[in-house]
Amino acid sequence: MKRAWKIYKILTIQNLKRLMEYKIDFLTGAISFLIDQAVGIGFIFIIFSQIPNLAGFTFEQIVFIYGFSLIPKGIDHLLTDNLWSVGYFIVRKGDFDKYLTRPINPLFHVIAENFQLDAIGELLVGIVLVCSVAGTVGMVVTPLSILLFIIVIPFSSLIYTSIKMGTAAIAFWTKQSGQITQVFYMANEFAKYPTTIYNQFIRTIITYVVPFAFTGYYPAMYLLTGENPLFNIGGTVIISIILFIIAYTIWCKGLNAYESAGS
Amino acid sequence: MIYAEHLRKEFKKVIKEPGLKGSIKALFKPHKEIVVAAEDISFHVPKGEILGFIGPNGAGKSTVIKMLTGILTPTSGECRINGKIPQNDRKNYVKEIGVVFGQRTQLWWDLPLVETYSVLKEIYEVSDEKFKERMAFLNEVLELEPFIKSPVRTLSLGQRMRADIAASMLHSPKVLFLDEPTIGLDVVVKDNIRQAIMKINKEEQTTVILTTHDISDIELLCDRIVMIDKGKNVYDGSLRELKANYGQMRELNFEANPSSKLTPEKFKSKLKLTDDDLSVECDKNIYKVRFNSAVMPVGEMLSYTLSQANIKDISIKDADVEEIIRRLYKQGVNTGA
Repeated sequence: MKRAWKIYKILTIQNLKRLMEYKIDFLTGAISFLIDQAVGIGFIFIIFSQIPNLAGFTFEQIVFIYGFSLIPKGIDHLLTDNLWSVGYFIVRKGDFDKYLTRPINPLFHVIAENFQLDAIGELLVGIVLVCSVAGTVGMVVTPLSILLFIIVIPFSSLIYTSIKMGTAAIAFWTKQSGQITQVFYMANEFAKYPTTIYNQFIRTIITYVVPFAFTGYYPAMYLLTGENPLFNIGGTVIISIILFIIAYTIWCKGLNAYESAGS
Repeated sequence: MIYAEHLRKEFKKVIKEPGLKGSIKALFKPHKEIVVAAEDISFHVPKGEILGFIGPNGAGKSTVIKMLTGILTPTSGECRINGKIPQNDRKNYVKEIGVVFGQRTQLWWDLPLVETYSVLKEIYEVSDEKFKERMAFLNEVLELEPFIKSPVRTLSLGQRMRADIAASMLHSPKVLFLDEPTIGLDVVVKDNIRQAIMKINKEEQTTVILTTHDISDIELLCDRIVMIDKGKNVYDGSLRELKANYGQMRELNFEANPSSKLTPEKFKSKLKLTDDDLSVECDKNIYKVRFNSAVMPVGEMLSYTLSQANIKDISIKDADVEEIIRRLYKQGVNTGA
């Protein structure tokens, strides 16, 4: 564990140095993510300028859920962004060879190799939104709810990571799976809003199939109402662990199926 | 040290008809075909030996190297290196090997070269003291000093290859796999790299497996060669033996003046050599003659050719590895070996 941390640290430092090599590229990336978030919030503003509430939710509550959903997304984006490259080109080009000839876990190696600082924008926007409306939405603030809030965040992030990992691993068989990841990932747009605004079909999908509802709406609901911690928080923890196990199993099977590329 | 027993690797390949229509058809009704990259490869390498692992393009060399390094899982067969099966205990196994794929790099592309080594130091758990000692050694052998502070993306191919070899040697591996380490390099750099490999092998008794298309690599470095073709072993022995048996072929190229009315049949008929020792191709008076210089010395062949026709341009070439392989493989099939 200590060694893993040490390796992680040194790889991340290298990454930051790389960012310094390509400053303009980094700034453009960070700004574009900020704009992306600004557009999202602007969209909510426009909706609420037309209607007083949405499926029983006030503007502040929607902002809270939206902001909350950005935090696990941002963390996952910050730490595990390199999984996208696995699906898009690392496997297809045979560059995965490198990870298999090093004495550390290839998954860890791939993940540690990229520290996606662009995600800071997302993360900051999320935190700012949650904090700015926390006082007005009647969030139940108890030591327990604060503790659960801190606990649930990494598990919510794990849902993102697992979906990315599982779909990226498909590339070990099909050579390229970035588009598959993209399709699954798109479902996370639904998670930014209350699931009750969708019909039953979409609700079932984002709760049990591609469980992005657990990255935003459900845990945020607990924080808003203090209700149903077993489902809202416990569900997030259990679903994320199950999903991770499934994704990691696919990943490990994929490593054996990896065919490299001609050279 | 290295045992490879009946290694076999199959790939499934989806056969597509050309064009978009074919691609769509393949998506719904994939027509799969099994491609055998390595059919049955066996050999073993004692400690401290430099083995030349050769064969024509597509023979399965890289596939075998990738199985030996634990990147690919063999379909059947087994390899054991230093008593370990790469696929069973990958993490511990790779600590003992170094791998260089000449066509790829394992260096951190955007950073000064020296950073790569400091990362690898952590990954391979090399102590500070050992690291200093290794860097000094590698610096001496591979002359990294002039470019160690330059970003990897700015290195020339020769510098990059030296840097890559150093990266694979940092943790003092017992076995070094070099897949085409001299590809695309000029003569001076090639020589430089060969010297380095020799020195590493001598000073540390590192076992080396080397694939190459360059016969000088083999001549200068390899104690022994294993040759494969179409996924099978075709030869295992010393280069000297191989050349004595198969390396006597020469290629004579010339252009005959049309007025001399030479034909391949006429050229061949007076020589009384078997088809194995002589082949003649002709395209618009440009002749390509392959002959066995053990049966017919080069000088004799030259004077014979000059006596046969009015020659415009003439050149003679040594058989390259490909030529030896071609001959060897043909012979192997003929004798049923």
